[in-house]
Amino acid sequence: MIPSEIWAPRILSILRIVLGLILLQYGLAKLFGWPAVEMFENLKWSSLFGVAGFFELIGGSLLILGLFTQPVAFILSGEMASAYFIEHFPHSFFPVQSEGDLAVALCFTFFYFAFAGGGPWSLDALLAKRKLDAIA
Amino acid sequence: MALLNSSGAMPRALSAFSVLSVLRIFTGLELLEHGTSKILGFPAVPSFAHVQIGSLAGAGGLIELVGGILFTIGLFTRPVAFILSGFTAAAYFMAHAGNGFYPVLNGGELAALYCFVFLYFVFAGAGPWSADALIGRK
Repeated sequence: MIPSEIWAPRILSILRIVLGLILLQYGLAKLFGWPAVEMFENLKWSSLFGVAGFFELIGGSLLILGLFTQPVAFILSGEMASAYFIEHFPHSFFPVQSEGDLAVALCFTFFYFAFAGGGPWSLDALLAKRKLDAIA
Repeated sequence: MALLNSSGAMPRALSAFSVLSVLRIFTGLELLEHGTSKILGFPAVPSFAHVQIGSLAGAGGLIELVGGILFTIGLFTRPVAFILSGFTAAAYFMAHAGNGFYPVLNGGELAALYCFVFLYFVFAGAGPWSADALIGRK
C-alpha cells in the first residue's frame, strides 16, 4: 500500500476531531457562556440558538469521540443547512457577503462524514473491531 | 453502525467516494469566492474593498483565486491541496490567532477547518468527479 492509502483514513479521523472541537466550542459558548462571545450573551436555552447549542454540544462531543459518527454527522449536516438558510441566506446569495461560509463548509464536511464514517481512530472503529473479534 | 452504506445495493453515485468530490467542489467554490471578492471586487465585501494585489491580503487573494479554480475542477488536486493547507494555516496564525486563543472568538474557524480539510485532500485525492480522474492522475 502507498502511504496515502494508509494515511487518508487516519487524517480523516484527525479532521473529524478538529471538526468536533470547532462545533463543541459553539455549543459551550451558546449554552454556558464559555468562551464568552458577545453575540451569545443572555441566550435562552429554549430559543432557536439555544436548541442549536444543544445540537452542537452533544454532536460535537460525539464527533470528537467518533461515536455514532454517520447518523450524528447526517443530523449536523441538516442543522448547518438550516443555520445557513435561516440565519445567513436571507442577507445575500453569496456566503462571503452573508457570512455563512462557515455554515456551508461545515454542512458539506458533515455530509461527507455521513458517508465516510469516522475513520480508524474512533470509538465506532473500536466497537466494530470488538464485534468482529467476538464473532471470530 | 453504518447508516447509509450498510447495504451493498446502494447506488454508486451515493458512495463516500463521490461525496468526496462534492465536498471538494464546494470547498473550491467557497475559496474561489474569497479570491474573486479580494481581487475582482465581486462579490463586493466592504473589508476587501481596498485590497492591493501587492499586499499580503492581495497575495492571499491570488492564491485563493488560482487555487480555488484548480480545486473546483479537481486538477493537480493533491499538490494544490498541500499548498492551500499551508496557506490556510498561515492565514489562521497571521490573521486570526492574535485576536484570541479560541477560534469562536478570533473568527478563524473557517481557516482552521479548511486547513484540515485541505490536508485530508492531500492524502485522499480528488475523487471520481474531477479533472484528475478524467486524465488518469491518481
